[in-house]
Amino acid sequence: MASTAVRRKWFGRVAFVLALAMVAAACGGGGDDDGGGGGDAAGGDEGTPTPGGRVVYGLEAETTDGWCLPEAQLAIGGIMVADAIYDTLTRPNAEGTYEPWLAESVEPNADHTQWTITLRDGVTFHDGSELTAEVVKNNLDAYRGTYPTRAPQLFIFTFANIGSVDVVDPLTVSVTMLEPWVAFDAYLYGSGRVGIMGQAQLDDTQSCDRNLIGTGPFALTDWVPNQHFQAEKNPDYWATDAEGNQLPYLDEIEFRPIVEVAQRENALLSGEINAMHTSDPETVSELRDRTESGEVNGYESNEFGEVSYVMLNASKPPFDNLKARQALAYAYNFEDFNAILGDGILTRATGPFAPGNVGNLDDTGQPAYDPEQAEQLVQEYEAETGQELSFTYTTTQAQATIEQGQFLQQQAEAAGMSVEIVTVDQSTQIDSAIDGNYEAIGWRNHPGGDPDTQYVWWKSTPNPINFGRFADPEIDRLLDEGRTTPDSGERQQIYEDLNRRFAEELWNLWVYYTPWTVATAPEVHGVPGEGPSSPEPFPGLAAGHLVTYMWVDQ
Amino acid sequence: MPEPDPAAPIEPPLIPTTTLEPVDLVAAVEGPEPEAARVVRRGRLGVGGVVAISWLVLVVALALLAPVLPIDDPNTSIASIAKEGPGTDGHVLGGDGLGRDVLSRVIWGARATLLLAVCAVLLGLLAGGALGLVAGYFRGRADTALTGLFDVLLSFPQLILAVTLVTVFAGGGVSSTRRMVVLILALGVVSIPVLARITRASTLSWCQREFVTASRAIGARNRTIMIGEVLPNVLPAMFSIALLGVAVVIVAEGGLSVLGIGIQLPTPSWGNMIAEGRSDLRDAPYIVMVPTVAIFLTVLALNYLGDVVRARFDVRESAL
Amino acid sequence: MILRRLAHLVVVLFFVTLFVATLTSMLPGDPVDAIAGFASPEQKEALREELKLDDPVPVQYGRWVRNFVTGDLGNYYSVTGGRPVMDRVRDSLPVSLQLMVEAQVLALIIAIPLGVFTAYRAGSRFDKSANATAFGLLAIPNFALALVLAYYVGVRWGWLPVSGYVKPSEDLVEHLRRMAMPAIALAVGQIAVYMRLLRSDMIATLQEDFITMAKSKGISPSRVLWRHALRPSSLTLLTVAGLNVGVLIGGAVIIEVIFSLPGIGTLLFEAINARQYIALQSLVAIIAVGYVLINFFVDVLYAVLDPRIRHARA
Repeated sequence: MASTAVRRKWFGRVAFVLALAMVAAACGGGGDDDGGGGGDAAGGDEGTPTPGGRVVYGLEAETTDGWCLPEAQLAIGGIMVADAIYDTLTRPNAEGTYEPWLAESVEPNADHTQWTITLRDGVTFHDGSELTAEVVKNNLDAYRGTYPTRAPQLFIFTFANIGSVDVVDPLTVSVTMLEPWVAFDAYLYGSGRVGIMGQAQLDDTQSCDRNLIGTGPFALTDWVPNQHFQAEKNPDYWATDAEGNQLPYLDEIEFRPIVEVAQRENALLSGEINAMHTSDPETVSELRDRTESGEVNGYESNEFGEVSYVMLNASKPPFDNLKARQALAYAYNFEDFNAILGDGILTRATGPFAPGNVGNLDDTGQPAYDPEQAEQLVQEYEAETGQELSFTYTTTQAQATIEQGQFLQQQAEAAGMSVEIVTVDQSTQIDSAIDGNYEAIGWRNHPGGDPDTQYVWWKSTPNPINFGRFADPEIDRLLDEGRTTPDSGERQQIYEDLNRRFAEELWNLWVYYTPWTVATAPEVHGVPGEGPSSPEPFPGLAAGHLVTYMWVDQ
Repeated sequence: MPEPDPAAPIEPPLIPTTTLEPVDLVAAVEGPEPEAARVVRRGRLGVGGVVAISWLVLVVALALLAPVLPIDDPNTSIASIAKEGPGTDGHVLGGDGLGRDVLSRVIWGARATLLLAVCAVLLGLLAGGALGLVAGYFRGRADTALTGLFDVLLSFPQLILAVTLVTVFAGGGVSSTRRMVVLILALGVVSIPVLARITRASTLSWCQREFVTASRAIGARNRTIMIGEVLPNVLPAMFSIALLGVAVVIVAEGGLSVLGIGIQLPTPSWGNMIAEGRSDLRDAPYIVMVPTVAIFLTVLALNYLGDVVRARFDVRESAL
Repeated sequence: MILRRLAHLVVVLFFVTLFVATLTSMLPGDPVDAIAGFASPEQKEALREELKLDDPVPVQYGRWVRNFVTGDLGNYYSVTGGRPVMDRVRDSLPVSLQLMVEAQVLALIIAIPLGVFTAYRAGSRFDKSANATAFGLLAIPNFALALVLAYYVGVRWGWLPVSGYVKPSEDLVEHLRRMAMPAIALAVGQIAVYMRLLRSDMIATLQEDFITMAKSKGISPSRVLWRHALRPSSLTLLTVAGLNVGVLIGGAVIIEVIFSLPGIGTLLFEAINARQYIALQSLVAIIAVGYVLINFFVDVLYAVLDPRIRHARA
């Protein structure tokens, strides 16, 4: 039915910049690490990695749209896969600052208006082609929308500050900015979304989403959507571990999407898979117990953490009205939520900045549970607008998220609102957010690091990445200040003010700081692996982790 | 003896199955003796029949009285009983994954599930019965056309048809009411051909009888004969199949719930309780077991009674 | 006579495909919004042109049939482009067929001996309890059984794997291990039906003269049962089994989803969750058309085999 030309028109949407460059960020971010959970430290006390073996990794969702990176919409399931097939030019170290990874060096000039990327020599893609400055330039152009075959929608906005990308010599690329860009190296990581693709994949107009060509530790062998993604060891991988051993250790990795977390955990316990991740509080709590008893190796991390929340669409009723947003906040009984669905382990989120991140505050002024106040606000809303306060809540079809939705529904209906739950698969849910085709949606975002990386989510100018679609001049002002203020004390003040502003306007209903856990069978190790230039890894899990350092006891 | 109608596909007697399709035997075979036949021919309902009826009466009563019974609200979470088993804190059947009282949910679930099943089958009875009556009574072209219609409807795998209709017309984010209405219509439409066929076959058979011929001879109007004379005799056949149909719809709703398009949460139904409880089988298996047992007993009772009615009124489609 | 059935088939296929082909135009609201809500206005216009949803129904129908018959089943529409539905279908169809056939075979393997024995010992305690059990089995909702089996047999006791699929050509044993529980869940409802069918046919056959003769010749009871009585009694059963393959489709969809088998049922489930209406339309069409064709062939086969039908129609 479709002609080639028309099919090509479909390339174009969102590069789900989720922390594209946001996620971890450089410069003074981090903060102290009292958040970390139990589990393995990197390398060290786990013993010596043995080569060989296979890991089957249970993911929370399939990335049905594939990995045409400049156009892809990668949630964490997609990032885990992208991290295996591709390398990013930089990646974060143990302190949360950025070091070169695929690149040999990434250096700014004095005023951060020009960055020079020097590549490693002798790196080849999975199809045998060489990593050259030309290819990297084409990749960067693709992300910023100036490369002919690719049509990203979100990355264009993210990389709008790039003026030009030039090849200096076969291994050097120079990127010139329009305005000084201090955190550019963070954006080159982009939570693992800004991988470097082979020229052939860049130019592929038919199947860029599924013919994956990267430089990464594993090469795709077979992808059946919703069943498995199999990749085998890249024998010519350029990276070695801290001791000089060839990476990766594994012969093969398979990613298996298992949406229902109970099923995923069962699969781990019964041996059908030997690794999994989850942010479901009840499962995280159980895995803690199982780690203690030695049934699994669990690695839990709250460092550089993100936030789980209800994102509200401020561009249409009812949440274009502050009273409606307030009503929802007052109606929400977190104590009960934590007891029933959180197994008691959750920390109430009062803002987007998790503990340990700049801007975090214990008390931002976000309303606490007050059912009478909620009812009253609902009545005021209805009197004011003449409309019933009703909305839809969009969530994925995983039972755990449906339960969270039903809980919200109960609370809201107790206050007099009416709620319908819409369930779709994760890719469609992401589409809904991007389209604005929702009223309230269950969401997770804002992993830690430099708070300036959150700029793109909250800035109000025609901004395709502000899914909440709110326009708050106060927040805009604070974001701009934060971007240009070098003093860390002042920045902290700015972002704390920003935090309070969110609590005042309630653009989102922050629920809890997301606990992430990766659990593996006892014979599987190597999570979270090593850092870019030292054995100490970046400890956060909110943007996934590299599978490069995983190994199996032989 | 009247000639067998060559145009009529040779119909089998119906056997209860768990699918929406009557097992179609293309042969003039006497079906297996209904389970209850032997008992009934002695003229008694039997212990089984009494038990079945009692169970059904109980379920229907609970469903109807749900709003006034002294049970918890089925949609309110109580933190202390979440995934705690039967007997906790005075909650006879424990709490589900969200801490909602299971006893209350299974009773309200009966309400929703039975509402759906009864309405769907009623729709099938009214529409299918009317069409079948007309087809069997008038025969000829009307019959051919209607039988063709039934065939087309039956040519669609029944659950797939239901899934398609619900997805297209009540996909996501619709109100509970709308979903319920669409479910009733979809499952009703799917029941129409089954009920129509049995009505038609029964009508064909009864129309051969003398009293009908006599009524025609004295010039009574068709409508009078159909409704006054034929219909009452055809009703038992329809009724027995309707009972089986209710059982089938109850199970079908469960299947649809597993696919995510059954009765809309948070309104409980037996099917969606099972679908939700699936992830809690490890810690709280009773969440799945309670509605499963409810369905099992109800379907068993309905099948048994359906058999009893058939045996009692000697319902066989192939009595030509 | 075959001609009549053929004509009947064509008529049925026509209406079934007509219904399916017009499904997307029945979506509430603008179909293009439903199919590709994420697209920009220009992309939506392009899609509307591509799908030609404004054409009159007969034209749309004709185009749909042409496409369907040549294997063009439309695309999955997504942000990064369209992917043909046929690619996924090619891999899934065999899985679903295997599941249904294996479930039938399993049901027959269990039902036939039971049917034979209960017929032979009609009225005995064994017969009564087998009948009662069969009756009870019919009442168990098969999706609940599947969930419970999957958990207890698969996870708790770990006897069989719970999810995933292995091609029989790759590893037959693994394939059977993974299909065992799905097939059982699907077969359970059928066992009762088949057993009772065979039983009643056998009871009738056992009363016939040629059986009495065989017995009087001194042939052992088991030979009489299996050799002489079974074959004539099994015609109905086999026909029903054949027809039931189609009927199982509904149950198979749910079982596939529960056990994560990559068949057509799972594709259908995915299309529903992903709101991929074009794909949904094509999948429904495949299932419906397949069902009609299977029924047709079994009908014809039965008519050819059973002389009673041929004479009744003469």
